[in-house]
Amino acid sequence: MTEKHKPAPMVDEVSDFEVLEMAVRELAIEKGLFSAEDHRRWTEYVHTLGPLPAARLVAKAWLDPEYKKLAVRDGVKASLAVGVDWINGMPTNFGTPSDYCNLRVLEDTPKLKHVVVCTLCSCYPRPILGQSPEWYRTPNYRRRLVRWPRQVLAEFGLQLPADVEVRVADSNQKTRYIVLPVRPAGTEGWTEEQLAAIVTRDCLIGVAVPKPGVTANAKRPVHPAVHPIHHGH
Amino acid sequence: MTTKGKKDHSTATTWREPELSPISLLEAIRRHGRVWGDLAAQYGVTNPDPPWKVNLEATCDALSAEACALPLLERRAEEDELSASLYRDVPYPERQLLALAHSMIRRGLVDEEELGRRMKEVYRRLTSV
Repeated sequence: MTEKHKPAPMVDEVSDFEVLEMAVRELAIEKGLFSAEDHRRWTEYVHTLGPLPAARLVAKAWLDPEYKKLAVRDGVKASLAVGVDWINGMPTNFGTPSDYCNLRVLEDTPKLKHVVVCTLCSCYPRPILGQSPEWYRTPNYRRRLVRWPRQVLAEFGLQLPADVEVRVADSNQKTRYIVLPVRPAGTEGWTEEQLAAIVTRDCLIGVAVPKPGVTANAKRPVHPAVHPIHHGH
Repeated sequence: MTTKGKKDHSTATTWREPELSPISLLEAIRRHGRVWGDLAAQYGVTNPDPPWKVNLEATCDALSAEACALPLLERRAEEDELSASLYRDVPYPERQLLALAHSMIRRGLVDEEELGRRMKEVYRRLTSV
């Protein structure tokens, strides 16, 4: 084998966690908690998820004022143009606008910044934005963002002037949100593909704003919550 | 600052305090299991997530969406509790997996001994060649 075809490194070790995941899944199937076919369908669905459809929605809205109006008025309908069907597709497949089918697109302006959270658990617009990052799931982020949004955004590196209003959107079982940020200067004449590349996951959650040249999310520290959690209250 | 949206509690089941006492099988994994971050560093792998994470997500989805054996909201609430206590020192997503197994054992969806036996079988299978 030539150096050119050197195989990618791989973990050559079976971990207890890998074994635990498989054992839990097999027993759940054997006990009828779900079928092997159900699991395959969900796995395929999870594999398809990512932030690109939401980034494309934003890029299209920046380029097409009519599409932007549609996105803000009816996020579910606007999602169809980027290949996401909230009503007939996974995860609901209900064919009726029920749970998990209401996407709202929150339009930022130079004087208004939106940011998304789920204070109750970790509701997230998965069909259009993929799996939520670890920090989004933590009680620390969820509790503090609604109390001190400006300070939390500053911790993410987003310093907002005092005259910019911050609105926190609290996701829930029925309604999910993405942020439509302000198109940054320096992107004049860009294609949809170029624009979508700078609309990162963090921009769509609202903890970052798009910048030419920035196409990846910064690694975020995760902090534990100090106080006990009492979901029952 | 304004807060948009209201929580929908109409479909939420009554939340109950999770049983936080350790489960010996899971304690052993917590203490001795090698987490993905360590394995990836040792073997020079750059994938930030373990390959089994997708399967774990699908299991969590299927448990909630199919027969509703473990509703999402209850699982996530218990995961929060367990992540702040028993499994506090375990990184994500290993912590999510331990919390899921914990919730399933405490609810009687799987039995601890049965799970231990199945783990041995799975390990034998994976390492048999």
